[in-house]
Amino acid sequence: MTMISSQNQQVRTSFLRSIGRAFVDIRELTLLVLILGIVVVMSSINPYFLSLANFRAVAVGMAPIAVIVIGMAILLASGGFDLSVGSVMALSSTIVAMLLVAGGSIPLAVLAGLILGAAVGFVNGMLVTRLGINPLIATLGTMSIARGAALVLTEGFSVSSLPAEYAWLGRASFGGIPAIVILMLAMVIVFDLAMRHTRFFRQVYFIGANEKAAMLSGVRVDRVRITAYVLTGILAALAGVLLSSRLMSGTPTAGNGIELQVLAAAVIGGASLRGGEGTILGAFLGVVFVALVNNSMTMQAVSIYWQMVVTGSVLVSAVALDMLIRNGRT
Amino acid sequence: MHYDSTITRCGQTKIEPIIALSGITKSFGPTQVLSHVDFDVRPGEIHALVGENGAGKSTCISLLYGLNKPTTGEILFDGAQTQIQSPAHAQQLGVGCVFQELSLAGSLSVAENIFAGRAPSKFGKVIWSELRARAEALLAEFDLTVDVSKPVDSLPISSRQIVEIAKALSLDSRVLLLDEPTSALTPDEVEGLFSVLRSLTQKGIGIVYVSHHMSEIFEISDRITVLRDGQTITTESTAETTQAHIVSSMIGSAHPGDVEHSEDQLGDVLMRVTNLTDGTHFEDVSFGIRRGEIVGLAGLLGSRRSEIVRSLIGLGGSVTGKIEYKSQEVSFNNLRAAMDANIGFVPEERKTEGLFLDYPISTNLAAANLEKHTRLGMLNGRSIDEASRDAIDAFSVKTGGPDDIVGSLSGGNQQKILLSKWLEREPELLIIEEPTKGVDVGAKFQIHTELKRRAAAGTAIIIVSSDFPELVALSNRILVVHQGHVVADVLASEADEDGLIRMAAGLPAPTDASSNLYEGTPT
Repeated sequence: MTMISSQNQQVRTSFLRSIGRAFVDIRELTLLVLILGIVVVMSSINPYFLSLANFRAVAVGMAPIAVIVIGMAILLASGGFDLSVGSVMALSSTIVAMLLVAGGSIPLAVLAGLILGAAVGFVNGMLVTRLGINPLIATLGTMSIARGAALVLTEGFSVSSLPAEYAWLGRASFGGIPAIVILMLAMVIVFDLAMRHTRFFRQVYFIGANEKAAMLSGVRVDRVRITAYVLTGILAALAGVLLSSRLMSGTPTAGNGIELQVLAAAVIGGASLRGGEGTILGAFLGVVFVALVNNSMTMQAVSIYWQMVVTGSVLVSAVALDMLIRNGRT
Repeated sequence: MHYDSTITRCGQTKIEPIIALSGITKSFGPTQVLSHVDFDVRPGEIHALVGENGAGKSTCISLLYGLNKPTTGEILFDGAQTQIQSPAHAQQLGVGCVFQELSLAGSLSVAENIFAGRAPSKFGKVIWSELRARAEALLAEFDLTVDVSKPVDSLPISSRQIVEIAKALSLDSRVLLLDEPTSALTPDEVEGLFSVLRSLTQKGIGIVYVSHHMSEIFEISDRITVLRDGQTITTESTAETTQAHIVSSMIGSAHPGDVEHSEDQLGDVLMRVTNLTDGTHFEDVSFGIRRGEIVGLAGLLGSRRSEIVRSLIGLGGSVTGKIEYKSQEVSFNNLRAAMDANIGFVPEERKTEGLFLDYPISTNLAAANLEKHTRLGMLNGRSIDEASRDAIDAFSVKTGGPDDIVGSLSGGNQQKILLSKWLEREPELLIIEEPTKGVDVGAKFQIHTELKRRAAAGTAIIIVSSDFPELVALSNRILVVHQGHVVADVLASEADEDGLIRMAAGLPAPTDASSNLYEGTPT
């Protein structure tokens, strides 16, 4: 019915494109506005909020979650997800710590931790693709196995007395910016661009939007999905390394419940359990937003229990708002 | 079923229509979709509504069913001006509707779906036995015997379509609106549907029949109204008009000619299949295809045509037998391997298997062409955009541009995008399932022309289709498949639709006769 002559088609297209871009970025924009809003409001309430020390603490505190959310956002875009990230984080932090205590070199110990994360991710990927097990069940299982393994290895105790040099990664800083924060930002930028522009990661969206059509378009669906799980495993293990380096101990109970915080942040940032959408930048902003909300409440001495209530409400509101916008659009 | 039997047969005398659109104009925002449309349905008649996609057929249906209200003009019901407020209101007035897109709740039983929200009940409790009995009685008219307590999901698509029709009939309607009711039905089921429709007209029910199938329209309808660009072009008595006249009214010009395509232009043998057997679906399949040749696979639903072609390109199970491609024995493990050998595959279900409905045209087109648009691992947005514009122009896809979401396009335009995605790869062998399923006449013609052009340029094409006239019009040769066996291999120039249907149904081949897809066009 829309009769468009070929002359004004060009004009119309670029116009549509800018509208389209705005819609794509609206979640990121909304989050940025909300984040700025928190900063403005909190700065006027609590003078300590707008201090470098506070921002540094928030950034360092959220770094492990931000690293993991990269993998989770990729998985969500592919139509999958991973509950085992918190356990993998704990397992890698204890394994690395134990290897270091046993006299292993730092690079070797870290490498071993990352390979372990990759292995758990590979198992997750194989369970989900080759055996067709629902990701919820498959990663619920590996979540329990990895956590159990960490507890068995350490008999439930933290592993400390790590070599002093190991603290470098977690505690070094350049011009006042902690190395851990620089690493986090660099990874977010690299993976955001990769998800937007590289052939390999674009395939993730095809799979999430319509797995069968992706397969029938020649996308190697299983290979891409397994890679996404392996990547998530590595990133969770890296988060464990960062955490153990900062705390100078391997903790088998670390990251308990972190998988739900990561999922919540990714969904607030525009990802969806239906797959096919979401960006790394959005997921990262989701992490920042949740971290700032929690930080604000801590500053105002709101109890940790109430913070959980608020985080949950934010998640539900974000998704509800998204559904309203979606329904209004069609 | 209880139908009002006071109205008797429809004769030539002037009969008051049950429902009429009079001078209807409808705009959505600035876009005028209908302009001065007149259309009516008399008791006991089947009135076909035809036109290309975007001509306004669906809008007419939506006005009659209370989904939209006209901007200006009147809807008359039994001669009185009526505002149809909602589908529920339309149903009260006696208007039932079957939509092209299935509206069934997959996890609920067949019986519940048929009587959705109107199940027989006592003190609020559904009387299951009566519900089942009434559902079975309705379905029996279609010769469909299914367990009505099974979920709709467990039925094949064609049976679901019949359930959908039964659902509309269960309303005791006086007017029935049917939008492409046969797109998912086998020829047998179409015949079943037609006999039901005829018996409904005997009871004085008026039927609006929207379809792209000219042969069906001429078989079943009493009158035909042609819409083009939102206007009523003509309303004619079916008995007094011709297919060629209707088609040219629809596209607004005389019927264009065919691309010439003859036997002696064929090249060397590109693929030869010998004794292909997969042990469960098909057995001893042998055929060859030459460069520039179009080979059609004719068969009814369940004939295993799809399993055969899919097994050629690594989408089936393990097979025995031999596949030679470019004179070398090959065995593709997956579609990717077949694509690397320059074979393309357009699957049957464009919505579930072919397209990413939530994504833009450009992204959909790029899905099978990612390597081509990649430099150093990075996708080049500009080259994707250019390729998309080319494809849109080449196929005159009706759209605002490459950023439009594919799900918002009409079926015909979606199919053009799906086909373009594979044509962009310039495959040497292209396998297509149902190239024009559910698309309008104009798009069908464009798709046929493009396929013939590609074949003339040397592409070998295997077409699987349930549309036998289409196969006759397009193919050089037609293989007829029945229960996993190739039962005939005939030259298209010597084939006819009835003969193909008989052979596909496992009956011996008859002789003679000819058939055309578009009347007046030589094949």
